[in-house]
Amino acid sequence: MTRKTIRFIRRGKVVEVPGFPPTRTLLDYLRLEEKSRGTKEGCNEGDCGACTVALGRLRDGQVVYEPVNACIQLLGQIDGTELISIDDLATGGTLHPVQQALVERHGSQCGFCTPGIAMSMFTLYHRDRPATRQDIVNQLAGNLCRCTGYRPIIDAALEVCNGQASDRWGADKDEIRAQLTALQESTDIFVGDADSFFAAPANGDSLAALAARHPDATILAGATDVALWITKQMRTLPKIIHLDRIAALHRIEDHADRLSLGAATTYAEAETALAAIDPDIGELLRRLGSKQVRASGTIGGNIANGSPIGDTPPVLIALGASLTLRYDAAWRMLPLEDFFIAYGKQDRRPGELVWRIDIPKLQANDSFRCYKISKRFDQDISAVMGAFKITLDNDRISAVRIAFGGMAPTPKRAPAAERALLGLTMTEPDSWAAAIAALAQDYQPISDMRASAAYRLSVAQGLLQKALTEIAGERTERTRVVGRREKEAVA
Amino acid sequence: MAETAEGVIGKDVARIDGARKVTGAASYGSDFALPDQTYAFLVTSTIARGRIRHIDETAARRVPGVIGIYTHRDIAGKVKAGKLMADGGYLGTSIQPLTSPDILHDGQIVAVVIGESFESAREGAYRLDVAYERQPASASFDDASVETVAASEASKTHEDPKVGDAETAFQQAALRIDVSYSTPTQHHNPIELFTTLCHWSDGKLTVWESSQNVWGYKYGLAEQLGIDPNDIRVLSPFIGGAFGSRGSLTPRTAIIAEIARQLGRPVKLVPTRDQGFTIATYRAETRHHVKLGATPDGKLVSLSHEAWEVTSRPDNYMVSGTKATTRLYQCPNIYSKVSITHADRNTPGFMRSPPELPYLFALESAMDELAVATGIDPIELRRINDTQVEPIKGLPYTSRSLMACFDAGAKAFGWHERNPKPGAMRDGDWLVGWGCASTMYPTAVAPAAAKVRLMPDGKAIVQTAAHDIGTGAYTVIGQVAAERLGLPLANIEVQIGDSDLPPAPVAGGSNTTASVCNVVAKACDRLRQQLFQQSNAASATDISGMPLDAVLNDLPKDGIEAYAENLPHGTTQEGIGKLYHGHSMLAGGSELKDRIQFAFGAEFVELRIHRLTKEIRCSRLIGAFACGRIVNPRTARSQLMGGLIWGLSSALHEETEIDQASARYYNDDLAEYLIPVNADVREVEVIFVPEEDKAINDLGIKGLGELGNVGTNAAVANAVYHATGFRIRDLPIRLEDLLAVES
Repeated sequence: MTRKTIRFIRRGKVVEVPGFPPTRTLLDYLRLEEKSRGTKEGCNEGDCGACTVALGRLRDGQVVYEPVNACIQLLGQIDGTELISIDDLATGGTLHPVQQALVERHGSQCGFCTPGIAMSMFTLYHRDRPATRQDIVNQLAGNLCRCTGYRPIIDAALEVCNGQASDRWGADKDEIRAQLTALQESTDIFVGDADSFFAAPANGDSLAALAARHPDATILAGATDVALWITKQMRTLPKIIHLDRIAALHRIEDHADRLSLGAATTYAEAETALAAIDPDIGELLRRLGSKQVRASGTIGGNIANGSPIGDTPPVLIALGASLTLRYDAAWRMLPLEDFFIAYGKQDRRPGELVWRIDIPKLQANDSFRCYKISKRFDQDISAVMGAFKITLDNDRISAVRIAFGGMAPTPKRAPAAERALLGLTMTEPDSWAAAIAALAQDYQPISDMRASAAYRLSVAQGLLQKALTEIAGERTERTRVVGRREKEAVA
Repeated sequence: MAETAEGVIGKDVARIDGARKVTGAASYGSDFALPDQTYAFLVTSTIARGRIRHIDETAARRVPGVIGIYTHRDIAGKVKAGKLMADGGYLGTSIQPLTSPDILHDGQIVAVVIGESFESAREGAYRLDVAYERQPASASFDDASVETVAASEASKTHEDPKVGDAETAFQQAALRIDVSYSTPTQHHNPIELFTTLCHWSDGKLTVWESSQNVWGYKYGLAEQLGIDPNDIRVLSPFIGGAFGSRGSLTPRTAIIAEIARQLGRPVKLVPTRDQGFTIATYRAETRHHVKLGATPDGKLVSLSHEAWEVTSRPDNYMVSGTKATTRLYQCPNIYSKVSITHADRNTPGFMRSPPELPYLFALESAMDELAVATGIDPIELRRINDTQVEPIKGLPYTSRSLMACFDAGAKAFGWHERNPKPGAMRDGDWLVGWGCASTMYPTAVAPAAAKVRLMPDGKAIVQTAAHDIGTGAYTVIGQVAAERLGLPLANIEVQIGDSDLPPAPVAGGSNTTASVCNVVAKACDRLRQQLFQQSNAASATDISGMPLDAVLNDLPKDGIEAYAENLPHGTTQEGIGKLYHGHSMLAGGSELKDRIQFAFGAEFVELRIHRLTKEIRCSRLIGAFACGRIVNPRTARSQLMGGLIWGLSSALHEETEIDQASARYYNDDLAEYLIPVNADVREVEVIFVPEEDKAINDLGIKGLGELGNVGTNAAVANAVYHATGFRIRDLPIRLEDLLAVES
């Protein structure tokens, strides 16, 4: 049995959409089809957040509201969710508490970004604890305000996001949960025909079979990259196979020695488990894209696209992760670093799927560091991203794995620097110089608008020095900027 | 009733359109849609100079849903090129695409594909095959084939302010600063895209497009399309950010209007973010050579500011910020010269504080260099050279509270704790830098017209074709009407953004609040006068405090109406005629014969620069501003706060990168064109320094929307110097620039 429609909850009712173009975005559906024009289009590429809507999803049996950029969410992806847009928040003439706070605090100037900001705040409002300033900044990193009314916006969020949701979504929680539960079922979705379709299989076997049958299809996970092929490169992707409904691909298995992630696990889903391996990874994920991107983007997608500047591959390579791929009924495993062959070229045949990532956990004598360097602190693509795993035998370096993003056409290890470090001791910092210099053999970065080649190499060397220094000594938390006043307030 | 009205001007009230904005109910230009509308998708040139050799429409026409492809073959002869606003026209460029096969810049519109759906138009655009005959293109200053001319030769009206003998005084000066600076290309990037919807009905054209200048658009389109301006209506009730980008008409609007005329159906254009980089305007890159001569005790004896600006091949667009920089400080010998460089680029245009931002970056950085050279505190150096009379013509400032701003700002910032030695202030691994700079912006006011209607139920409607670009125009206009009429703010309905309303000037040059509030006040006063003259309720001599309650019952069912025009200081009756032809005759700044009008401020920046990674983080921004009467502190504060952050962004983030070989922009999206996010902005504080200026206009209002982002650029660079000892003279300042800072 297949279903030829997608279904989602909208304003308390189940909406069923049959026959839509596979590349139709959620934003175009809202603005052009449903004619809900409160949701704005600012960039159509997931950067500005003006089109942010909230999706309600079941996670461990609870309804969780996450912000997504409607412009880079394909309509087919929202099957099984509750869709909430800005037009829905106010009831009758009464503003929603987040809206009221934005009005009072003057969080809106030209107002074009405001609907997106209100929706991001709405999802924060539905969290079960009061929001700190840092929570708010994280939450809103993906909402650009060009009038730059950031201060009043933060003030509004501080006032209203107090962990006590008293709106109708809070009141109707059980009903919404029941509705969402009723939507979950194990029928494959196939909208369209053999030449042009949006498919969302419900189980792994039918997914693998479909992908093998249509090796020319585009495999879609979170769409944070694939949607840009449509909106920016204007590509027509006639066949789309969506991974999201496969439970196995969302599975997070926490083994004693390793973490095993299904490939369609979103950054948001994986965040806690990955941060448990090392807090540096948590900080990295906090700065990867935006809340909206992390709610959709997946670990598997970040790998499968093979971007040289993806933030997770260097981390996973440094940790020694391996990849499981599946083609129809055939499975294979390989070290992640071997997956990346050349720029834009990965060891994956058409129709083959990235299935699972196994990440070894750190042992007692392992130390890990990773750093993201970007021009803008939040929501920016890395100029350089470095990850370091160092194994010590007493004070002597007995094993080392270094991987960088942004330094080569693929995420890549640093064999020369690694060799040079082996056997050195942490108590003799002067001895590290040769290894740091050896990064120049490992990488010949390019100059582009994010950074010059010289800067990249220099900063990569600096990061290795920083990692070694930190591992050798006291761990410093002093990587944040705190204003004088705030410091006084803390003191 | 009247108790709520007293003192509405100056009150800290929430914006009256707030609820509409937070619910998504506010309809922006992009939000309008019509039954039977078609969708336009632009195809833009992939070369910066040359000709279209051939367009093959076959594949595009085959896309289901594509119903039209319009190129120069269809539009030439139907749409005329327009003139720049500076040349008495309405456009931001004289380059009108689709009038010939010639390509004059990257991303020029070469075709418009029309589809029944957005997707079909987009796919048609993707499949349209355009072949070019490519010619070498010059990107910017350093290209061999650019042409540089003196501004005074390019424009009859341009003046290079001068006084005394700057060169001799410089040579004889005890202390000399002789330095060069540059600022980059920047794009407005308002969050709303450059959308347009055009519809013809009975020979009349309606245009829905976010615009800062609806009357200007109406007359400009009439010229381009060869029709009667009275047959055009331009609607722009809400504007999703503008910053100057929607002040002059862009060539796309007439094209879309013409296609809608040919097609006989409404056409809706939603261009992409990257197309916005080339189908509208931008801030061009500039270069500066500043020479300061001073006595050992810091008194300026010579100031020379020479500057170069990039423009397009055909247009003499220029911003000429020397008008401001030659008048900021007392100095007996001043020289200035502006030149423009023609390159193969689209024509630049107004972007928030067009002249002041790049030019004051240069002067205020140089002043900081002089402070270092003299060993005088930067604030004291400015005090030494402060003046109430501009030095070029000896005209008095109507008011100038620069030093009061410095004093208020310094106190809030804790400036007295500053150790002036570069690199001396630290916080762990972070080098701390404190910098400051002056900011200034001319107060210009333009003729405007407004209508006010009072209804028997005590509600009033204010009508004027002004624009709310996010500044709070709806609210401040409402406040003025409430106070002048003696009604609660909730009783006032403000109607703006419609070219069928009485004309108001372009929302540019920060003139709206002053221009429009003054004329609305006049219309309200006139209405009260009419009201009380008609009624027997009071003598006509003292009506200002009379409550309206007594006379409302006598009003006719559709109320009474008053109309007013306002001619600000320095304008003549001719200004009203011009206004009614879509021209904004801004008067003020340094252009008056008898006086000079500017708003001032002092801006303070605290930076932290990591000693190892050289990351630059801004931990505090404080601005103290004196800008006449503040109509609404809440909206004003947001404008200035936004301005401070704009300045920070300009100094540290924003640059449109141009490939020198192809003369094409390559970071043309919001992922790569970086503007700050919430996390980039820590403490921001705005201080209002009280200032009363009775001369400037009846209400004593100075503009402030473009005051906040001017001084911040130099303040950031000065803070970088203070933290590191490195003087960075080219914006934006990046980590690369600080690699050699000792760790």
